[in-house]
Order: sequence, then structure tokens, then C-alpha cells
Amino acid sequence: MKRRNALRGLIVMALAISPALAALTSCASSGQGAATQPPAASQATSSQTAEESAETSAGPDVSQRVDLEFMMIGDGPKDLDRIVGMVNEKTLEKLNCTIKWNYTTFTDAMQKYNLALSSGQNLDLIYTAPFQNYFQLAKSGAFHSLNEILPTYAPELYAFVPEGHWKGVSVNGNIYTIPCTYKQYLCGGFIYRKDLREKFNLPVPVSMDTIEAYLLGVKENMPEQLLTNEFPMAGVYQFNFSAINVLSMNHTWANDVIYGIAADYNNPNQLTDYWNSDQFVEEMKLMKKWADMGFWSRSALSSVEDMSAMENGKTIARLFGGTVNSVSEYNAAVETTHPDWEFDIFLYSDINKVVYPTHPTQDGIAVPIASKHPDRAVMFAQELIMDEEINLLTNYGIKGEHYDVDADGWYIPLQDPQTSSFPWDGMKSWAWRNPVYMLFPKTDQYKIEMYAKFDEVAGYNYAAGFQEDYTNYQTERAALGTVMTQYLQPLHAGLVEDVDAAVATFREQAKLAGLETIQQQYTEQWLAYIKSLE
Amino acid sequence: MKIKRGRETVVFQIIAMVVLAVCALISVLPFLIIISGSLSNNELISREGYSILPKQLTPQAYTTILRIPESLLTAYRVTIVNTLVGSLTGLICMSMAGYVLSRKNFRHRNIISFLIYFTTIFGGGLVPWYIMISNTLHLKDSLLAICLPLIMSPFMIILMRTFISNNVPDSLVESCRIDGAGEFSIYLHIVLPLIPSGLATIGLFLGLMYWNDWYMSSMFISTPAKFELQFYLYNMLSGFEAFKQMNTASVTESVSIPSETVKLAMAVFVTGPIILLYPFVQRFFISGITIGAVKG
Repeated sequence: MKRRNALRGLIVMALAISPALAALTSCASSGQGAATQPPAASQATSSQTAEESAETSAGPDVSQRVDLEFMMIGDGPKDLDRIVGMVNEKTLEKLNCTIKWNYTTFTDAMQKYNLALSSGQNLDLIYTAPFQNYFQLAKSGAFHSLNEILPTYAPELYAFVPEGHWKGVSVNGNIYTIPCTYKQYLCGGFIYRKDLREKFNLPVPVSMDTIEAYLLGVKENMPEQLLTNEFPMAGVYQFNFSAINVLSMNHTWANDVIYGIAADYNNPNQLTDYWNSDQFVEEMKLMKKWADMGFWSRSALSSVEDMSAMENGKTIARLFGGTVNSVSEYNAAVETTHPDWEFDIFLYSDINKVVYPTHPTQDGIAVPIASKHPDRAVMFAQELIMDEEINLLTNYGIKGEHYDVDADGWYIPLQDPQTSSFPWDGMKSWAWRNPVYMLFPKTDQYKIEMYAKFDEVAGYNYAAGFQEDYTNYQTERAALGTVMTQYLQPLHAGLVEDVDAAVATFREQAKLAGLETIQQQYTEQWLAYIKSLE
Repeated sequence: MKIKRGRETVVFQIIAMVVLAVCALISVLPFLIIISGSLSNNELISREGYSILPKQLTPQAYTTILRIPESLLTAYRVTIVNTLVGSLTGLICMSMAGYVLSRKNFRHRNIISFLIYFTTIFGGGLVPWYIMISNTLHLKDSLLAICLPLIMSPFMIILMRTFISNNVPDSLVESCRIDGAGEFSIYLHIVLPLIPSGLATIGLFLGLMYWNDWYMSSMFISTPAKFELQFYLYNMLSGFEAFKQMNTASVTESVSIPSETVKLAMAVFVTGPIILLYPFVQRFFISGITIGAVKG
């Protein structure tokens, strides 16, 4: 029994050191890749085949049948096999290849990525995202560089994706992933129950004051009702209490004030020290005022995020950056259970005018270095994105069985979304959504209208493309993390007796932790990054 | 005739009963909360928290799950078949290995025992293990990948060897040979019938290991129809959490969130059968533990 436990202990240890493992495996992956198939050699073969095909026919050579594998995160739909069968029929005819989607599930997805990429197992396509360490993996040589393959084998796709996207996903000048061109917007806002506002005749939340008036009004009329469910956010160096997002309307931050440094969105070269500014003290006083008014629970620092709190009527508002997307979702969620409820959002960007889309790396398709057929993989990716039939099939399922399109062009699910054998987005097709073919349910109407507005004013997402390298100030950073949890979190949540004294203590402790070193190095890196964009 | 019980005995028994009753209550309460939660109204749970008695009795969670029972039943089937096949094969392999290693006239038994023991101390680690199974044996997404890795356990082979050498005298094996029995029939007709409790112990260890396993599914299986029951549940519960963490900095896309009550109803479905099975297996299980304790 003991030894069995010891074995289990080993496995647990292995899991615990998986971050270290990630670093190791990424080294291993570059080594492995070099050993099994040097990138140079593979490029040579691909250009060779290109020459050959150029001699024999106009299109690329597809005489050899290839079976591709595509690694995805999340869970696939129930009807995956049927859909894949239909896709394969088409691709066999067109490209002489088949595809198999492998879903990792969301459980330990990052560890599975590291294992799959470093073990050199046969993989031809893989979903990439910043939260799946796209930049780190790309830097360590986990993917084929697509610079030459794309124009040769997928010219249509290469032309379809805007230049800025290719630039955005490049690492050291190499394109490692095919970005999704559907733009989404992240600007946060105050989500609240519109029906309550009308019922109690409260002001429309359009500023700090009106948010306050709205919440106070609801509290007076419904004293038992919990207003918000704000929660501490662990392990971040920006805001570490969710409600603090509301402050972003007072600023034009480009980088969420990491380490207290605020880069101005309209002039990203200009950095200010927010934590040491007078405005910081003022805003912390506002947070205390709101906490004292009971806008969030006295035990907020021990609460956790609860996405369904508003759908269930536990809370009635959310200061934590909801997006226009979430309003649509909330409204869809209560459509049948509480038809009299309605959610609305006041966007902080209405005040500060800062709107930016998700970064091009948000969703992408890369070709792992172990792939023996990067050319065919890229050709398949082109079909997946550009071919309307395949694209719709892999995004929404079979028309007439899983979904239908009404007269106005809205997506209508034909099965209960909870149990559907192919729900909207069933294949987690985030990376190959094509804005030209995309279908939306009617509940998304508001989102679409807002996105259209954002399209006109949106700028560049600076923060998401910035790859901070904190190896030089790792110790200071860790110390600062502790200080932030101990001294900044209560300040953010307004749970201190005297704001001025608490701010002074926080500043002092942060300085002791080495804040100045961190800020100095971060600033250098940030400025270099902004320069590289120009 | 009654044996007179002393005052202290009575007091002791009362105290013991009270303490045990409290312990039993503490053990049962979580189950009660799971069951009552699974029968409650989801909104009330979210608003007011859990309670021992269900609020607003509703079978909604169960009907939600049973609307698509196929995936749950498939996971059940995979786990049951895997447990049976794995435990049986494992028992045969390990009892054979144990028997061979227990025979004193087997020439290299010390070296081989050492090599088996060696693997309990030094292992290749996760990555080589993964490469071995996925690239060398090509078992990725195959049911063998969740069955094979658990079949042989060095600890259990050594346990088996000790058990056989303590319960099967050498002279018995010798006299069988004199009577003309072959090696395999000695194993099958003489050794196996002599070690039923050893087989029961190892069988239980193996069976529980297979029933509780989710890691193999997580690592090697990508087809949902081949998920083990435990992973099916684990994935349902942890998947959304993981997704949320990944997406804190980006747009949350629509992912169906299992409601609290559905999670609890799932837990009932998963623990139900093994709890019902326990009273029948408990007998062996207790003797199994004692064997493990003395011989391990």
C-alpha cells in the first residue's frame, strides 16, 4: 500500500513540477524536432515538391494520400464522427487527404500540449492561443514556420488574412500560426438588471455617480438582495480585486496597470506610475465608500467567481468587466426561466474611448514541427477557413438537422442547446471562424451592433502582443505578488479603516519588495516593444 | 445465564456508541447533502447554499442527465469492462510472475526480482512514459492504453511472491513434480487454490485502481466514447474551471455550464454502484487489508 502511495506521490510530484516540465519539454521539443526533421530540411523538401509540381501541373502535388491529425482543446460534439466523415469525403476528393480531430478536453490541456508537442507524436495541426502559451511554444520551435509554405500552398488564405494579423502572430519574423480573422472586443462594462432600474425608476448608469445611484436605489428597495459578487483575483499583477475594473473608465490605460505602471493608450510611449499618484488615493477612497455602502460583501476577499450568480438572481449587477458578449449570454440564459428580467451594459469605453479587439494570436491554427506534411496541413487549413460548405459544417453542423437559418439570416438551433449533438460552436471552431460565413443566433444582435460600432473606433491591442520577460526580476516580482495580496487587495476592496495610512503602508512595502527595479525593467521592455511595432 | 456487566463497561459502551454515532453521522452527511442537493432547485442552491433536506424537491437534474444517457452509459461500460478485463488479466499475470519468482530453483530469480523492484525506485518520468505509449506502442486513443499500464504493478508482484512462498511449501511442489505434474498444472491446480485470499487482496487493489482511474483516459484518450467513468465526471466538473482560467483575459465564448444540481446528480450516478457493491465485497476487503498489513 505504501509503495502504491509512493508511486502516486511521484505522479503528483510530476504534476506539481509541470511548469518546470513545460520549460524542459519545450527545450526537448526543439531538440527532438531538430533530430527527427530539421526545419531546413523540411523546407527543402517542400520547395522541392513545389518545383516538381510546378513542372508537372499547375496545382500542388497531392498524388499521395495523407491522413492528418488536428489537436484541439476542449470537448468535441457528439456528432463529431459524422461531421468529420462528411468533411473527409470532400477533402479526399479535393486534396487527397483525411483529417482526424483529437480533443484534449479542458482537463490539463496545457500539460497535454507540452507532451504532444515534445514527444514528437504525429500531429499536423494544432489550435493555438495565448492562454495555451502560443508565444513560448513558438519561440521554442514547436511549430513549423509558415512564411514560405503559406504563399505556395494556401495563396487564397494568405491573401484573405490581413497583413496586420500575419505581423501580429509573427515571432522573430516567422509566422507560426494562422490567425482567426473574426474580431472580438474586450472592453469591459457594468452589467446590470435593466428591469429593476425601470421598476424602481432609477437613473441609467452612465458614470461613476449614476452607477452608485443605481446600486443604492436597488439596495433601498430590496434590502435583502445581494448586489454584486466581486471576488479577489489571484496571481495577477494588475487589479487583484474584480470590482476595480470600474476604475478603468477614468483612465486610458493600454496595459491594465501592471506593477502600477500605466501606459497611455493614445500614446503608448508615455508611462505613469499609477500607484504613486494622487488619483490612486482618491480612487481607493471611492472603493472604500462603495464597500461601506455595501455594494459587495464584507467577506468579498474570500468569495469566488460565480458566473451564474446573475442568472440565478443571487446578484443583480457586475462591476467586473463584463463584455457585450456576456450581456447577450445573460439575456439568453434567462429567456425562459425569467422572461421579465433584462440585462443591460454600460460600457466603460463610452467614457474613456478605449476600444481594442482581441489580439491576432487569440485563436489560431499552427503546424507542429512533428508534422511530415506541413504543405497538406496548410492546404487543409485553407479549405477549412475558405470553403463555405466545410466551414459551415464544422462550425454549426448539418443544416436542417442541427441548425437552420431563418429569413433574416439568424442561426436557429434545431435541438436543445444543452443536449444538442452539435451545438453552436460545437467543434470549438474558434480558430477557423470566417467572418464572411459566420452565423449568429438572434440573441447576439446587440453584440453584432456593438461590434460594428467598435470596428470604426478600435485601435490596436498593445497589451496582448507584449511578451514580458521577467527572468531578471523574478524574485522581486514574487515578493511584490505577496505584498499586493496582503496590502493592495484590501485597499482595492475598500476593506481598510484608513485609506491614506493603508496606501502609505502599501507603497512602503512595495518599495521594499523591489518595485522600483521591476518598474524600471518593465518600462524598458515595454518601450522597446512599442518601438518594434512602429 | 447472563454475564454480569460492570458499570464501567456500560459507561464505556455508551460513550463508544455516541462517539461512533457522531463519526457515522459525519461520514454520512456529505452523502446526504449530495443526494438532497441533486434533488433541489438549482436557483435556490445558488442563492442560499446547500442544505441537508432538499429545498423544493425536483427531479430536474436527473431528467437532464437521463435525456442523453448514452454517454453516461458508455462511460459505465468502459469502466466496467476495463475493470473486469484489467483485474483478471492482471491477476493471472501477477500470480504467474509471483509463483515463478517464489520457486527457489528458478536460476535468476534474484536478478529478476531486483529488476522488478528497481522500477519502483527509479522511473523514466512522465515524458518517456508518454512517448513509450503513444509513439512506440501506438496506443494513443486505444482502449488498451487505459488497460495495459495498470496491469502489472511491481509492488503487487512482490506481494504475490511473498504470499506464495509463505503459503505453498516447496515440498508440495516437489512432490507434485514426482507425481508427474507439469509446471503449468502445478500452478493451476495446486498453487492457485492455495492462495484465494492473496488473489482476493490483489484483485481488490487492482479492481479499485481500475475503477478509480481517470488519468489514463486524460492522457491518452481523445474519443469521448472511450472515456472512463471517473474521467467523464472529472472532465465535466473541472473542464469549465480550466476553461475559465484560460479565458480570464479574453472573451468568454459560450460553454455550457453544468448547473450545481447536475454535478451532484452525476456524483450520485458515479458513486451509487460502487457503494451498493461494498457490502458484498467488504468481507474480502477486510481480510485483504490484514494480508497487506502483515505481509506488505
